[in-house]
Amino acid sequence: MNNRLGQKIEPYVWLLPSLILMAIFVVFPICIVFRIAFSEVSKSGLVGGFVGFKNFADAISLPAFKTVMLNTLYWVVSVVVLSTVIGFIVAMVLNQDFKGRKIARAIVVFPWATSLVIQASVWNYIIKYEYGNLNNILLNLGIIKEAINWRSSYQIEFIWECGVGIFVTIPFVTFCVLSGLQSIDKSLYEAAEIDGASFWDRLFNITIPLVKPSLTVATVLNIIYVFNSFPIIYTMTKGAPANKTDTLVTFLYMLNFYDRKKGPATALSVIGFLVLCLCSGIYMLGVMRKEED
Amino acid sequence: MNRTSAAKQNKVALALLLLVVIMAGILLSVPAYRFTSTVYSQKSPNTFVGDEKYLAVKAEVETLADEYRTQGMEVTVDESVTERTNSKGEKTSLVAFTISEKFTKNGWSFLTAGINSSCALAAILICLLGALACAALGCRGSLDTTYKFLDSGSARLRNASCWLLLIAILLVPVFFMMSTYTLSRRVGLYTAGIVTEGKEALFQTLDKFLFAGMAGENVDVALKNLKFSNTGVLWALLPVAFVGLVAAIQLRFGTVKHTLLRGLLYAFVIGMCLFILYPYYVMLITAFRTNAETNDMYFQHLFPTEWKWENLSHIVSRGVPRYLLNSAMIAGGATLIALICGIPAAYAMSRMKFKGKKIFLGFVIMSQMFSPVVLLIGISQLMSTLHLNDNILGLMLINAAFNQAFAIWLLRGTFVAISPEMEQAARIDGCSVLGSLWHVLLPMAAPGIVTTLIFVFINAWNEYTISTVLISTASNRPITVGITQFSSFNMIEWQYLFAASLLATIPVVIMFMFIEKHLTSGLTAGGVKG
Repeated sequence: MNNRLGQKIEPYVWLLPSLILMAIFVVFPICIVFRIAFSEVSKSGLVGGFVGFKNFADAISLPAFKTVMLNTLYWVVSVVVLSTVIGFIVAMVLNQDFKGRKIARAIVVFPWATSLVIQASVWNYIIKYEYGNLNNILLNLGIIKEAINWRSSYQIEFIWECGVGIFVTIPFVTFCVLSGLQSIDKSLYEAAEIDGASFWDRLFNITIPLVKPSLTVATVLNIIYVFNSFPIIYTMTKGAPANKTDTLVTFLYMLNFYDRKKGPATALSVIGFLVLCLCSGIYMLGVMRKEED
Repeated sequence: MNRTSAAKQNKVALALLLLVVIMAGILLSVPAYRFTSTVYSQKSPNTFVGDEKYLAVKAEVETLADEYRTQGMEVTVDESVTERTNSKGEKTSLVAFTISEKFTKNGWSFLTAGINSSCALAAILICLLGALACAALGCRGSLDTTYKFLDSGSARLRNASCWLLLIAILLVPVFFMMSTYTLSRRVGLYTAGIVTEGKEALFQTLDKFLFAGMAGENVDVALKNLKFSNTGVLWALLPVAFVGLVAAIQLRFGTVKHTLLRGLLYAFVIGMCLFILYPYYVMLITAFRTNAETNDMYFQHLFPTEWKWENLSHIVSRGVPRYLLNSAMIAGGATLIALICGIPAAYAMSRMKFKGKKIFLGFVIMSQMFSPVVLLIGISQLMSTLHLNDNILGLMLINAAFNQAFAIWLLRGTFVAISPEMEQAARIDGCSVLGSLWHVLLPMAAPGIVTTLIFVFINAWNEYTISTVLISTASNRPITVGITQFSSFNMIEWQYLFAASLLATIPVVIMFMFIEKHLTSGLTAGGVKG
């Protein structure tokens, strides 16, 4: 009897350390954020009683709210879509057989391995107007006659930030797609070639359908990573001028740690959290369905 | 392919190569660079535009200009007026007249100028001529032979022709780089008096090249006022040489399409690699520049004038080793905790059946979704309650917790791929559960465990956001936060910032390269296939 009970409990004992760690440092903060979001927060940051959706109303009525939400949308969509397309192409190329493929694959992984703060600082330096390296090289080549101001307006600065975002996200997509590509049976292509299928036929009828599962997962994970990406924007513009280049994550950081508006900031956290939940819910459904297959 | 059509095809290719060389010759004869230099300037002080003094000086300057014109120089007269108010309150003007000469130089004169870029241009020309010669020699006696039946001599010569054309293409941008380097940077350094070594020789050469030796003693002033721009004509050497390359490929391999596709593949890969490495190159060279060089375009070139290794000792004195140590401790600790908690969980997930397995699985996937950034406020609140804010241990735990999902995924994928029979055999032999895990499963799963370990380590090493919020004492900062001390609001010390960044980047990049080949299988086993 005792032994059977032990057997029943055993798996949970194995899970316990992991469960405790995640409960304390993942679940607990979620609870705290939710509690603050629905509580009254005094100016000094003390958390009071339940106030319903007042903090959410405060957050939505902030002048920058609309800009920030739109920016977040632009940021996530542009970075995810473009990095997926480019990452897919890069993966297709790296899946070919050529000399130096190992080196190329090792180099492609570089941006993934580098801290985002460092990447953002380097690009920050590259596109400096007065002494940036990009202007310098173009001038040296004689392609441009005068230095170009690469960051003449905040829209352009935001585009640069998206560009850096894409640059650092490509390796992740590439390697996810590559893992999908490598599991495709080579004989499929040989058969298609015998049937006289063109490159595009093979791409749309073999490659894409078979890579689709890995691509879907990569995209969902990507949406979440990109949504949460903080260092690039924080390093390059800090959201300036006047939150015009902020995304939700940088905005709530500034709101909480600079402006000391804890109430609206946590409300924004909850909004962000729910958006992520939606994404992960979709993802989970997909994975679960595959488990059953 | 029969002999006559092979002969015809080869003849066309040879003719194309000849045409390329002729085109290059024509391109070299067209003005490549435009120059404007000041030959004379005179100021007429205390005048009004239109009064006698002004007219007198103007006439004088005009006659001088005419004199230059009769010598066959193309000159223009410019005047600039600066208004000012004198002590009596009257407005007067300072009018400065300058006679500037406009002239152009073509590729041939660059070739004979004797400066750095002459070598590049000469090399391009030699490559083109050499390619033509190699192709012609390679065709001698085998003009009507198809590429498959070439003897080794002809094949080698035709190969050489391809390579020479490729080199010629690559040298075109080098020529422009070198020209700008000599005309702008070196001249700038000399006229500003920052460097003196080798000045005489260069200035004499440039005098001969640009002013036909007429500037003499005034060459300093003349070069200081020199303005130049390229007309872009020599860029046309790129497509011209490319056409030659295609012809040479045709000669060597018979079909162009396959080779070009292959070439395109390599061009894409090389271009992509260069693009990815570009920020690292910038980081590397900037890390070893002097402060003046980082902040002034004027001094910059491809590499630092002088490699400043002192930058490294400077950042050491500003606490960077401490930050690196902190980072290593945080990342190491986080990895250890993540594995200690993750291995049992992954083991249970892969080897046992129990109620709630699916729920736990779902929970793990869900928590994989939450980066700590959205929960920033909650985390900082929690950490101050636990008295773990501004504490390295706190960062270890947070990093471990948020990498837990990934660790469990990767490890579970590895464990599932290993058959449980070995463990069962060990158990029958009297090994305990822990013993079989330790002695049988873990050694077999070592590659997967190492991948997980490095992955978690890198994630924790590169973490920035949580650390900025939690850490306030300088001596507790990890390197990602530590480097921000070099960029204050009004001044960024780029060279130190990048020197520190370099130290922070190298170890993780090397680690990542190690696990790169396991990464695809790891991702598939963990996140993708579930």
